[in-house]
Amino acid sequence: MAPSRGIYLISHAFRQCSRFSGPLAYGRKRFSTFTEKLTNPKNRVQSYLSTSDDPCLNLSIEDYILRKSPPESYILFLYTNRPCVVIGRNQNPWTEVNLSILNVADLKQSAQLKETEPPAIGNVELVRRRSGGGTVFHDEGNLNWSITCPRTDFTRDKHAEMVVRALRKLGVNRARVNERHDIVLDQGNKELPVDPEDTHRTTYTLEDGASPRPLKVSGSAYKLTRGRALHHATTLLASPNLHIIPQYLRSPAKPFIEAKGVESVSSPVGNIGLDDAIFRKEVQKQFGAMYAKVGEAVVDFVGDEYLNIPEIKKGYDELKTKEWILSQTPQFTLNAEGPSGEEICVTVHHGVIKSFHFQGAGLSNDIIEAVSSALLEQQMHEISDWRSLLGQHVETQDASASAIIDCLERFLPLPKLTKD
Amino acid sequence: MASRFSVARAARQLTSSAIRRPFAPITCQRWQATPAQARLFTVTAPALEKKYTEDHEWIDISADGKTATLGISDYAAKALGDVVYIELPEVDLEVGAGDAIGAVESVKSASDILTPVGGKVVEVNSALEEKPGGINKDPEGEGWIAKVEIDGEPEGTLMTKEEYTAFTEEA
Repeated sequence: MAPSRGIYLISHAFRQCSRFSGPLAYGRKRFSTFTEKLTNPKNRVQSYLSTSDDPCLNLSIEDYILRKSPPESYILFLYTNRPCVVIGRNQNPWTEVNLSILNVADLKQSAQLKETEPPAIGNVELVRRRSGGGTVFHDEGNLNWSITCPRTDFTRDKHAEMVVRALRKLGVNRARVNERHDIVLDQGNKELPVDPEDTHRTTYTLEDGASPRPLKVSGSAYKLTRGRALHHATTLLASPNLHIIPQYLRSPAKPFIEAKGVESVSSPVGNIGLDDAIFRKEVQKQFGAMYAKVGEAVVDFVGDEYLNIPEIKKGYDELKTKEWILSQTPQFTLNAEGPSGEEICVTVHHGVIKSFHFQGAGLSNDIIEAVSSALLEQQMHEISDWRSLLGQHVETQDASASAIIDCLERFLPLPKLTKD
Repeated sequence: MASRFSVARAARQLTSSAIRRPFAPITCQRWQATPAQARLFTVTAPALEKKYTEDHEWIDISADGKTATLGISDYAAKALGDVVYIELPEVDLEVGAGDAIGAVESVKSASDILTPVGGKVVEVNSALEEKPGGINKDPEGEGWIAKVEIDGEPEGTLMTKEEYTAFTEEA
């Protein structure tokens, strides 16, 4: 955690404690105040900052804001998550994420992995968000910003442009919005004359494809509902994990999986090198300025205790289910070759195994048949691990059975999720 | 916003008069707006004409009034941009009016597709799973999303093509 944020959180927690006058009375008042404030049509501009680092809670508060805020309101919500990999709504975790290293801290504890082996950070949560777009890695060096606004007034660029104005105000003159609605830092050396108000071009912008390529510092994803639009993004300020992020976002099974849905576009990334408290304040300021004509911003904190709001809890629990994380995956087919030349082919539709084929020299057809009938129509989210599932149907010590289990564990690893 | 509501209200009046005369040819729509005419009818019957919602979905009810075909409008398909994935509902899924029957993703945006009518999903357009871009090519024809066996009346504002065009120009 960046020092400044730590200090901020401590001081904020302290402030909360000093006002504390009994858990229930305080808590209830605070939640009802939040909902009242959020839903009051008079509050057309609102700005919230989360003190929680729980990705699912922050996403659920964000979703609550999207669904509950008045139709004509503009709402900024800022948060920072603990280390996690966040996939888009229509993505495949087996192609996007190196699932077998997520629980590396647990593996180390059980001595399956040497201490010196990278990656060196603890357990990393796997989260599927409700918005579209690709996979991102979050940690304490990112600031997530989200803006909910009327759909009629929405463009995919307008709030990325707002954040670029904030960055430039802080001296990050290489920042601009690119054609993918991301924020990048130009890496060119030439200083060409440009309009300083143009948020899509800097004096360092090179022609498309020319090197050095711009570094991506902030992605974008959107969720559109009846009348409302949510734009959220994670801005890389000072992540200590840049060197190991690629290990998390590179799946060894990817070349063997043909998947429907959305594939991430990987880009070179960089840290902006800004202090998060300073950046956060500037984003709040730019947001206030952008909507000053609409009204004065109502400002407040949200945090872990908001899990007591039933609708936020419901959204939170949904995000935590294996059904959402695994079985929401669009249809895919695995077609791979195992270490001893075995061929495995598995088709999965919305989390249900629809076909299974396996063949290899000297393998028992009876075992393959037994495994196949055990796997067909099986829901992926109901399997805790391949070995114990198949152990109910075949002798796992058998050479054919263990060849199958090895291939399944290698190409379709089942992540340990917090709700297991 | 006020103007938008008034359009919606006007549209509702138009719609209710239109669905009471299922066999009225399209060319006769103008006179349907006359309130005196509308008051003559009180029963509701299924519409044969394609209708549009404020959320930019269309609904086409079969002649026997039992099934509805649902999709997104040309306007919505253009506004969404290139669709890269369509999440279709499962056949046999029971839905209520206003529920999501699917979702589309385009340009990093996830949007729900809502159904104005409740019932049971009887057929989905599986071709869109293979080629999601089909919804951009012909959203109001080949790019239909699902067919629903209707249970109850459609809810919310339903507009004719002309009313919907006016609505989108207003927005």
